[in-house]
Amino acid sequence: MADKNAVQTPSKKKKKKGLSQYILGFFLLLYTLFCGLPILLVFISAFTDEMSIVQNGYSFFPKKWSTNGISAVLKYGSKLITSYGVTIFITVVGTLFGLFVMSMFAYAISRPGFRMARFLSIYLLIPMLFSGGILSSYLVYASLYGLKDSFLLLILPLSVSTMNVIILRTYIVNSVPLELMEAAKIDGAGDYRTFFQITLPLMKPVLAAVGFMMATAYWNEWQNALIFITTDSKKPLQLLLVNIQKSIEFLLNNNNVPASVRAAMGGTIPQQSATMATVVVVIGPIMVAYPFFQKYFVKGLTVGSVKG
Amino acid sequence: MTFLILVVAITAVVFLGLFLLRNRMKNTWKNRAHVVMAYPAFLILLLMAYIPMTGLILAFKTYDFTAGSFYTMPWADPIFKNFRVLSASKQLFYTMTRNTLIYYVLFTVIGTFLNIVLAIAIDQFVFKRVAKTMQTIMIIPIFVSYAAVTFIVYAFISPDTGIINQVMGTHIEYYKSSGVDYWPTILTIVKMWNSVGYGSVLYMSVLAGIDTGLYEAAQIDGAGKWKQIWHITLPSLIPMITVMLLLSVGGIMKSDTGLFYQVTRDIGGLYPKTQVIDSYILGQIRSKPNWGFTSAATFFQSIVGLLMMLGANGLVRKIAPENALF
Repeated sequence: MADKNAVQTPSKKKKKKGLSQYILGFFLLLYTLFCGLPILLVFISAFTDEMSIVQNGYSFFPKKWSTNGISAVLKYGSKLITSYGVTIFITVVGTLFGLFVMSMFAYAISRPGFRMARFLSIYLLIPMLFSGGILSSYLVYASLYGLKDSFLLLILPLSVSTMNVIILRTYIVNSVPLELMEAAKIDGAGDYRTFFQITLPLMKPVLAAVGFMMATAYWNEWQNALIFITTDSKKPLQLLLVNIQKSIEFLLNNNNVPASVRAAMGGTIPQQSATMATVVVVIGPIMVAYPFFQKYFVKGLTVGSVKG
Repeated sequence: MTFLILVVAITAVVFLGLFLLRNRMKNTWKNRAHVVMAYPAFLILLLMAYIPMTGLILAFKTYDFTAGSFYTMPWADPIFKNFRVLSASKQLFYTMTRNTLIYYVLFTVIGTFLNIVLAIAIDQFVFKRVAKTMQTIMIIPIFVSYAAVTFIVYAFISPDTGIINQVMGTHIEYYKSSGVDYWPTILTIVKMWNSVGYGSVLYMSVLAGIDTGLYEAAQIDGAGKWKQIWHITLPSLIPMITVMLLLSVGGIMKSDTGLFYQVTRDIGGLYPKTQVIDSYILGQIRSKPNWGFTSAATFFQSIVGLLMMLGANGLVRKIAPENALF
């Protein structure tokens, strides 16, 4: 029962389309607008004329439209393309790698008769209860491992998470028939072959769900990049946004910055419509991909919510 | 380089050990394929979660960058010296701990409440197609990174061009220390905008699992909609609420740095109401850390989180054992 989703499976409750339903609908609509309008504003502002923003402020109904913001983004040119490349790289590699190692782990600890599974389950849970915090991670990653400025720090820390492994394991236990895996064994398939040819293909829905959540996490990651990455050519998209914000901050707080420095920093204060256009470029791909994955991750989230 | 050597060394030790002990660990040896499959994730957790825990030891050391690693740094003398630094800067530490706790309570209480209200509202709404479209939009905010949210928030509350100031006809400098009192509200709204649509999905899955016979029986007994919600819907949500609260309580001392470091633009004037332990530590790492203070604060943060988690779980185990996590 728990893997049903309220929206997808209308319950058999008696339906009354009375006035109260329309009142309820009105409030739901209000909340929907509350969620959607800020994002709409980003897209509108990206296409608003700069003077319009400066004089009249941000608006859902700008006086004048313009594509200058978008074309100004292209001024970042190679920087933007490099960052895009970095983000796509860590998102794709991180998600695939994470899914791979986590589903193998989930498969192993869900095997009946594998005694070490108990130890491994506890081993998996502890990081959720206790962690060293940001400072300890920083010390260990940067000075002990010597990984400063390495892509590995953008990929590895997010690749294995307790919650995702629990979701995957719950799915294997509940939705992949044990008989099927045992039949494969009787037919002579080894453990690896059983996993890769029987279990993994049957895990597609949950892999899509967890995969999308992971991909979003990778796409949106900025903190590790901010702390560890120093080389320009390794900076992901989010860091570009953070840096734009930092440079605005710097220029606003330092009125006495000489013109030469301003010029060296690449012109004046970044324009507001151009900044919004950058935001569009950064969040756009997720907005586009999300509707295709929605049904999977709503389902995946639901399945995984069963306590492991 | 060190990293690679570590990876190879740990792997060699694990598998050589397994091979040598194969006569004693018969079950594990028989299942060695499963060991191999579990190993990569095991190793990543070890390197990325377990070994960093040892970094907490810095709270008992004197920071000395000439020492090779923090393991070899000299012990603090006396051993609790760093914690004395912590209590010496009482005001700073008090402010950020207080903020961390207040925001945790605010976000958890309001968030859980709104999650449940939204889940029930969508569940009760009979136009399912419309509900699905609305839900799609409600979930979107969780996928917008805080680096981007920073600019959205700016568009709303910027003093000159922000929508709020335009509509209200005011000129409030939200980003200066004069506007500091608005920030708890602003951050709460941003957090709810970000997380409620997504959070309600979990509760909706529980609602979908409620036996409809219960509602029908209640209806026959003459219970109205509100009575049904109060006596059937809410009680069935309690196990899920408990699990979610338990999961969150371990992070009581942790905060979303995206919210507190990015969205607030790390503006000093706002610190009295916006600085939390994590945003302070992040800021310290970015500048020149005040090692003694920061490491003691980190230690405090981790230990309190662990104790809260164990305490809450113990409490739940006493009251309703079936809802406890472990």
